[in-house]
Amino acid sequence: MRRLAILLAVAGWALLAGSEAVAVGETVKEKVLTAASKNLVEIGLSYRGDQITFFGLNPVPGADLVVRLTAAKEEDIKLSVKGRVGPFWMTVKQYEVSGVPFMYKIHASKPLEQILSPETARELELGYEAIRDRMKLHLIRGEAAAEDADKVFKGLIKIKEDANLYNIVTDPARLEVKEGRLFKHYFRFPPAATEGTYQVESFAFQNGELVGYGKDLIEIRKVGLEHWLTYTSQNHPIFFGILCVVVAMGAGLGVGFIFRKGGHH
Amino acid sequence: MEIYLPIAGMSINFFLVIGIGGLVGFLSGLFGVGGGFLLTPLMMMIGIPPAVAAASDSCQIVAAASSGAFAHWRLGNVDFKMGLVILLGGITGGTIGVQLVKVLRAVGNFEFVMKVVYVLMLGLVGGAMFVESLRTIRRSRGAAFDPAVAAAPSEPRLAKLFARLPLRMHFARSGLHTSAIFPFSIGTIVGIMAALLGVGGGFIMVPAMIYIIGMPTIVAIGTDLFQIVLTSANVTLQQAFVNKTVDLLLALILLMGSTIGAQFGAVAGKRLKGEQIRILLAIIVLALTVKLFLDLVLTPADLVSLAPAKGGGH
Repeated sequence: MRRLAILLAVAGWALLAGSEAVAVGETVKEKVLTAASKNLVEIGLSYRGDQITFFGLNPVPGADLVVRLTAAKEEDIKLSVKGRVGPFWMTVKQYEVSGVPFMYKIHASKPLEQILSPETARELELGYEAIRDRMKLHLIRGEAAAEDADKVFKGLIKIKEDANLYNIVTDPARLEVKEGRLFKHYFRFPPAATEGTYQVESFAFQNGELVGYGKDLIEIRKVGLEHWLTYTSQNHPIFFGILCVVVAMGAGLGVGFIFRKGGHH
Repeated sequence: MEIYLPIAGMSINFFLVIGIGGLVGFLSGLFGVGGGFLLTPLMMMIGIPPAVAAASDSCQIVAAASSGAFAHWRLGNVDFKMGLVILLGGITGGTIGVQLVKVLRAVGNFEFVMKVVYVLMLGLVGGAMFVESLRTIRRSRGAAFDPAVAAAPSEPRLAKLFARLPLRMHFARSGLHTSAIFPFSIGTIVGIMAALLGVGGGFIMVPAMIYIIGMPTIVAIGTDLFQIVLTSANVTLQQAFVNKTVDLLLALILLMGSTIGAQFGAVAGKRLKGEQIRILLAIIVLALTVKLFLDLVLTPADLVSLAPAKGGGH
């Protein structure tokens, strides 16, 4: 009876939460209840990234927790690969990379391999290996080489880690679990985390089996002047260009008027 | 205090940007030359994407040069006819340059080409300035040195040569009867450089106007400022249309810094001798050249890098 109730509850929740929950697996699982300190991050003039704290309730006391932050949007990016041409280092080939998440962060209270099997990790897309599986490479310039896939994958992870868009942290201090039930952690959204919807998914594992799942959505959007400047520059470039010139000339003449001189360039 | 640059897509310390603008403004106030050629590489060093750095620098130049151009126009120092011929070249060059930026960004080698051109240009300018100021310092140690003679332009032999080319026009304000081919060509070259490097090009244009075209110095400076405002305005417009890389916020912060810096630079400039100032600038320029050259030949830390997305500056 309890099993049926859980099944119904999970099915109902899955319908509400959208298709992602179904994708996680059809197995019975409890809901990991979570609450975020805020669900909306606004990019304004003084934006320098943001930090959001999450509080959660582990449905199965003592179960291991893995939390994954991903951007809803996937990215098609172009990566340049440098090589030596005479004495110089320059771009010698380019790949279009698709299927990789724009942002990917994982928090766990201990190393992933101690929580779940590599197969389950791949299936649930937990860990960088899953990104390697999903990554599709398309050579757009230059000559392909056998080692390119590995080189591009490692380069991609490094670029993303440097921008603080990717990381995997398996530190008990970062994902605090009190008495096996209450947990608390935070994700840092770097300045590079641009507009869009981000999802924070909490997975509970017992003996390597998924026993609970929960999801939070975080929205990041530009507001005020930042929104206006980005929108105008991308959608009305002619107007934006004229505006830039008019504002620059006005500012220059204004400055000249204040200081009664000018002329450097 | 951090500030988010919407087009560069990054947050950066406001005082760092103001500081760079201030430093470049100080140097331009001190040396009396434009700081555009220092601004773009410095912005790249603090992490601004190269294409955004160059395009925003052009926008900043429009602002920085407009007050000077206005002042010279009121004093009657602008040869409009000459300015228009150079400007036609500048617009042609700027248009070619912006398309070149587009192609180079697409193949992933914009930064490489930009650095190569910078190394050549800064190396040449810095080297020539270093040798010239060193020679002046040595000469000034000798007894019979007359600064007025040393500062006067040498006989513009090239001016006579270029004046014989076809398409001769009369330029009343400059008092010249010369060919339009050279002013147009130099305008085109400077226009291409303005788009590629985000420079105003005054440090090439003014000597060319004085020594090659044969214009009076004050008219050369006034006319140069006039054409720089319009050439840079054209580059800014086109970078905004074609590459979408103009960060207006960045340009305005830089302008704020450079304006304040220029006031201090002008005061400091009065306390130093001309050749001392020039050798100092030459050393700065050469140091920057070496840094950029090493970037080209040393094995980069990352062999894989992000290529710009279609249309966006980030």
